Amino acid sequence: MTENYIYAPAHNIEGGFRCKVPLPGSRQIFMIDGGVQGTGRPLDIRFRKGEISEETLQVIGIRTEKHPEDISFASSYRFEEGSSAKLILCSHTFAENPFHTDEKISITMEAGASADVLIMQNEHNKATHNTCIDIHLAEGASLNAVILTIHGGAISNGITASLDGRHAFCDISGLYLVDGTQKVTNSLKVEHRVPECHSRELFKGILDNNAYAYFSGLIHVFPDAQKTEAYQECHNLLLSRDARAFAQPQLEIYADDVKCSHGATNGRLNEDELFYMRSRGIPLKEAKVLQQLAFAYAVLDKISSAELKERMAVLTERRLRGEFSDCNNCCRNCC
Amino acid sequence: MTENKILLNIKDLHASVGDKEILRGIDLTIREGETHAIMGPNGSGKSTLSAVLAGRDNYTVTSGEVTFNGHNLLELTPEERSFEGLFLSFQYPIEIPGVTNVNFMRTAVNEHRKHKGLEPLNAADFLKLMRSKMEIVEMNPSFSSRGVNVGFSGGEKKRNEIFQMAMLEPRLAILDETDSGLDVDALRIVATGVNKLKRPDNAAIVITHYQRLLDYIVPDVVHVLYKGRIIRTAGKELAREIEERGYDWIING
Repeated sequence: MTENYIYAPAHNIEGGFRCKVPLPGSRQIFMIDGGVQGTGRPLDIRFRKGEISEETLQVIGIRTEKHPEDISFASSYRFEEGSSAKLILCSHTFAENPFHTDEKISITMEAGASADVLIMQNEHNKATHNTCIDIHLAEGASLNAVILTIHGGAISNGITASLDGRHAFCDISGLYLVDGTQKVTNSLKVEHRVPECHSRELFKGILDNNAYAYFSGLIHVFPDAQKTEAYQECHNLLLSRDARAFAQPQLEIYADDVKCSHGATNGRLNEDELFYMRSRGIPLKEAKVLQQLAFAYAVLDKISSAELKERMAVLTERRLRGEFSDCNNCCRNCC
Repeated sequence: MTENKILLNIKDLHASVGDKEILRGIDLTIREGETHAIMGPNGSGKSTLSAVLAGRDNYTVTSGEVTFNGHNLLELTPEERSFEGLFLSFQYPIEIPGVTNVNFMRTAVNEHRKHKGLEPLNAADFLKLMRSKMEIVEMNPSFSSRGVNVGFSGGEKKRNEIFQMAMLEPRLAILDETDSGLDVDALRIVATGVNKLKRPDNAAIVITHYQRLLDYIVPDVVHVLYKGRIIRTAGKELAREIEERGYDWIING
């Protein structure tokens, strides 16, 4: 890995920020207001040909009151031929300013490269964050990406994945937990440009109060892309009458020997399941949380590291219980 | 002979779905140590009675009283009824994908303990308890890590119901057509499980269409429910007579 950043241990970060998700063997980079801590330069990471990176690279993006103005920046991750790595990309807001962030992430996977990427979004209610993720996969490259939108005023993810080489594989999933007047948008475009590629998307949302979620997913199969397999699902769980979820699944298929599907549902908590749990002595409130966790589980289960999955499950549960209890003495201001 | 303590007392219970009256005046008294069978043709109100007792809210109780273990049952939420010792074995157990059996039961058992003012069980003690109760219904331990009833066969679902009953040790178990969808072996296992859980201070209501289950779980009293009323109450021989002659002679009699 080549790096143009200064490694910063957690205690150097203002406000005494401590990441709740530090995995043993992970390396942390802080991106402060769009620039790498210390240099202020954009992040440009390259995993060298054949490099199998054991440690997880965690990039912690934070907004601070030093730069309350709108910012936009770009980061790039290149996985050279045959390399393999794990990334965690987090975003936080450290002050109560109404931050507006435009971020562009480019992920280039060369032939045979593989990566696990977890994007964790946890910002406060006044934050607007638009993330544009541009993914390219060469022959035999494989990407497993999970986007966990825990909290944020208006979070928008626009993802384009282009499968450029045969046998490329890409699994992108998302879980968004939205309440109050929060808005979350996920727009996906998966382009199957060559034959024999495989893609899957699973997006699930839990919405309460007046929350709003929009999902649009396009699978585009080019004329030559025979033997494509592409599947897409989006499911929303609405906990209140005033929450709104929109799903716009789209297939554009120009090849004739493909397997593609899409499905979208918006539903509410299942009364039969709730009654069943209550009849065993599980109080209604707890039964609702169990059902929401069960709903979220399919996405969390896509996180390949068991340890990271467990931590994300805990975070999800605390969020669903409304228990971000350390908020009063935390500088993240995420709720 | 001194009579045992009354556990459940139903007086003139009427219940409806929408404007359709399904229970039209049920009277039933169940004492500790007793097993009652409720039989009756399809649509007579058997499952409605069990759902109303368990607190399902799509039924409206229009009049009548139900006292359970000294409480006005109809005022309690479904979870409070469970805490007081009521258990319904569902005719169609619900699948809960994503919630494992072990998490489901640990939550339930610890909520029961919380209600009694006890500390939650630690993981080791809980697993020990769970294993011993699974043996009662000859359930494979691998079921504990699977989603509640997800992908279970009909027989496995019913075993899971009786396993849950064993975990919660209810005062009154209502078995709603526990025999439906069971082959002979599963029926024997489930019925044996129920018998093992019998104690002098608890009771059971067995809702069934068939004599077969009652060969294993022998009732003290058999009731025939028809059009929302109990039209005949007798000893266990009534079940055999119904098996031979059907219901017409009782309905028309």
